Amino acid sequence: MKKLYSLIKASMTSGMNVFKIRSKKEGKKSSSLLPTLIGLYLMFMLWGMANTMYEKVDPLNIEYILLALFAFSISIITIIEGIYKAGPLIFNCKDDQLLLSLPIERSTVLFIRIFKFYVFELIFNTIFLLPTMIAYIRWGENITWTYYLTSILMLFLLPIIPIIISCILAAIISSISSRFRFKNAAQIIISTLFLIGMLFVSYNIEDMFNYIAKHATSINDFITKVYYPAGVYSKLVTDFNAVDLIKFILINLAIFVLFIFVLSKFYFKINSRLKNVSTNKSTKIEKVKIATKTPTQSLIKKEFNIFFKTPVFIINAGFALVLFILLAVMICIRYDSMITLLTNPETGFNLPMEFVTNNKSLLIFTLIALTSFMTSITSSVISLEGRKINILKSLPVSTKEILMAKIYSSLLLTTPAMIIGDIILFIKFKTNILEILLLLAASIILPLASHLIGLIVNLKYPKLDAETSAEVVKQSVSSFVSVMIGMILVVTFVIVLVKLIKKVSAIILLVSFTGVFLLIDILLYIYLINKGVKDFNNLTV
Amino acid sequence: MIEIKNVTKKYGKKIAVDNVSFTVEDGEIFAFIGHNGAGKTTLIKAIVGIHDFDEGEILIDGKSIKDEPVACKKLMAFVPDNPETYEQMKAIDYIDFICDMYEVDEETRKKNIKKYSKLFGMEDKLNDTIDSYSHGMKQKIVLISALAHDPKILIMDEPFVGLDPKAVFEIKEVLNEMVKEGKIIFYSTHILDVAEKLCSKVAIIKNGKLVKSGSMKQIKGDKSLENVFMELEDKE
Repeated sequence: MKKLYSLIKASMTSGMNVFKIRSKKEGKKSSSLLPTLIGLYLMFMLWGMANTMYEKVDPLNIEYILLALFAFSISIITIIEGIYKAGPLIFNCKDDQLLLSLPIERSTVLFIRIFKFYVFELIFNTIFLLPTMIAYIRWGENITWTYYLTSILMLFLLPIIPIIISCILAAIISSISSRFRFKNAAQIIISTLFLIGMLFVSYNIEDMFNYIAKHATSINDFITKVYYPAGVYSKLVTDFNAVDLIKFILINLAIFVLFIFVLSKFYFKINSRLKNVSTNKSTKIEKVKIATKTPTQSLIKKEFNIFFKTPVFIINAGFALVLFILLAVMICIRYDSMITLLTNPETGFNLPMEFVTNNKSLLIFTLIALTSFMTSITSSVISLEGRKINILKSLPVSTKEILMAKIYSSLLLTTPAMIIGDIILFIKFKTNILEILLLLAASIILPLASHLIGLIVNLKYPKLDAETSAEVVKQSVSSFVSVMIGMILVVTFVIVLVKLIKKVSAIILLVSFTGVFLLIDILLYIYLINKGVKDFNNLTV
Repeated sequence: MIEIKNVTKKYGKKIAVDNVSFTVEDGEIFAFIGHNGAGKTTLIKAIVGIHDFDEGEILIDGKSIKDEPVACKKLMAFVPDNPETYEQMKAIDYIDFICDMYEVDEETRKKNIKKYSKLFGMEDKLNDTIDSYSHGMKQKIVLISALAHDPKILIMDEPFVGLDPKAVFEIKEVLNEMVKEGKIIFYSTHILDVAEKLCSKVAIIKNGKLVKSGSMKQIKGDKSLENVFMELEDKE
C-alpha cells in the first residue's frame, strides 16, 4: 500500500501537477491568479445558467431531472473528450522505462495511469457539475444531509464509467493503429472517423431519443435507460435509499477493478507494439534529399512536423475546423433544420431568428468567430517544445522570428479550412463581392487573434515538463485560459451584435467588427513582440 | 575568442555561477570541469544564449551575447549534455533544419553532411526518424548537425556520453583538426584523462566558483588532472 501511495504521489507531482504553472523561475512565485479567476468566473456563469434553467422548470417540480440531465451531459462530454485524451495519457508514456523497470505489478502501472486520468476528469467534472449542484439547493425540494452526501459521492463516482468507456475506445484505436506502419497517421484517421461518427450520431440523436422516450414510461425511466448513473442520482436526490447508494458505489468500484484487470491483459502488448518505430531501408547519402530553406520557412516546416505527428494536437485543433466545414455543408443541404439548430435555445446557439435569416453575412462572420476561437493551436506550441526549447534558444535566429513562425504555421493550417467553409457559404447565400472580401479578411484576422492569444497565454503558462502531449494539449492551464479568453471575446461580440443589429446596417457592422478584430490583432502583436519575446527568453528547463 | 567577465547567475537565492571570469583564445581546446551541480551547464547555457545571467558580461569575438545574440550564435554550435532533438523528424530533416537556421549554402551542407555522417557511421541511416535511434545515434546526429555549419566555436556539454569508442576517437580527431584551423573548442566533461590529453587549457569550477583556470601544464604540474581535481574536491 505504501508502494502504491508513493507511486501515485510521484505520478501526480511530476506529470500532472496542474497547479504548477511554470518551473519555479528565479524564486518568483507562480502566477495562478488569472486561471483561478477564469475558473471561478466559469463556475459562476454555470451556476447562473443552472439557476435560470431550474427557474423555468420550477412550476413542474422536475428540477431533479434537470440535475440528472446535467450529470448525463457532463458524462457524455467526458467520454468524447476522453477518447483522444486517454490514448496519449495511458499508452506510450515517457515514464514507461522507469515504471516498467520497477518491481511492481504491471496492472499497478496501468492503475496509476488510469487513476491520473480519473483525477483530471474529476477536476473537469467538478468545475462543470458543482455549480449546478449548488444551484439545486435553492430550487430542490426537501434538501437534507442526504442530498449533500449523495452529491459529494456522485462528484467522485460519476467520472468512473465515462473514463472507462473512453479508455476502451482509446484502447481499440491504439490497438488498431499499432498494427500499421505509420501509427500516428492511422491514429489520426481512426480518431477522426470516430469523431465524425459521433457528430453523425448526435445529429440523428433526436430521433433515437424520441424512440427511447416513446418506449419509456416516464422521463426518469428515459434517463435511467440512457445512462444508469444519472438515473440513480435523480432517484437518490428525491428518494434517498442507503442500499441503492451502497449498491451504486459497489457497482462503480467493481467495474473499475474489472476494467483494470481485463485491460492489463492486453495493455502491454498494445503499448510495446506502439513503441515499435519503423525504419526505412538504408539510403545512400548521395540519394538523400537535401534542400535549403530560409530560417522562417524551415521553422514553419518544423512546426508542421510537430503538428502532423502529434495525433491529440491535430484532432484537438482540427475539430472546430472540420465542424465549420461540416456546418457549411449542412447549411447547404438542410438549410431549414440548420436554421432551427442555430436559433433554438436548447442547442446552445440561441441566435435571433431575424439575425440568421436577414443578415447572412453576419451569420457567416459569427461562425468564423466561433470557429476561430474554438481552434486553439498556439496555446500548446511552446509547451510541446518541452526540453527542446533549448534548441530553439541556441539558434542564431531572433526570438521574434521563432514566435512569428509559430503564428504563420497556425495561420497556414486554419486559413484553407476557413476559406473552404466560406466558399460553400458564399455560394449558398449568394454573398456580394464586398461582403466576400470582408469575410475572407475576417477568416484571417479572427484566427490570427486566436493564435496570438494562444501564444501569449502559452508563454505566460508554459508546461515544459509534461509526460504526454495530451497533458499539454488537453489539460494545461494555457489551453484552458486561451479557450476561455476566446469564448469571452465571442460572447462579448454576440452581445454587441444582438444589441446593434436593429440599429446599424449589416455591412457597417461587418466593417466595424472586422476593424475591431484587426485592432485587437495589432495590439496583441505589439504585446507579443515586446512582452512575449521577454517571456520566451526567460523560459528555463 | 570567448571572454567571460565576472559572470554571476542566480536561481532565486541560490548562486549557481559566482563571479566567474576567464578567456578562451582562438585555436584552443578548453576543458571545463567540476562536480555534478557545480554550475558547468548553467555557464555553458549562458554562453550559448539559452539562459540569461544576472551580472557580468560574455563576449563572443568581441560581441556581447546579451546585446547581439543572433550575431554571437551564428559563430557557435552547441551540443547539449542530453541529445535533445525533434524526434519525429527524419535525421536528415533535422540536420537540414539546423543548417537552414545558420543559412548554410547547399554545397557546403552537402559536403559536410556527407563527411561527418560517414565519419560517424550514419551515412545510410539519415532517412530514418530520430525516435528510432539509440542514445548514441542521437548524439551523433546532434554532433553532425553542429559540425555541418562549420562553426567557429564549438561548445559541448559532456559530448562523449553515450558514444561508442570509434565515435569518441573520430570526434577527438575532428576537434584537433578544427583547432588547427584556429577554431575554439569549449567543453565540459567528467572524463578527465581524455581532457588531459586533448585540451590546452582547463578551468575547474566548484559550487559556482572558479577555483582554478589556466593552461593544462600550469594547472596539473607533475600530477594528473584527476589528482588535481580530487585534491580540490577534498578541500573545504
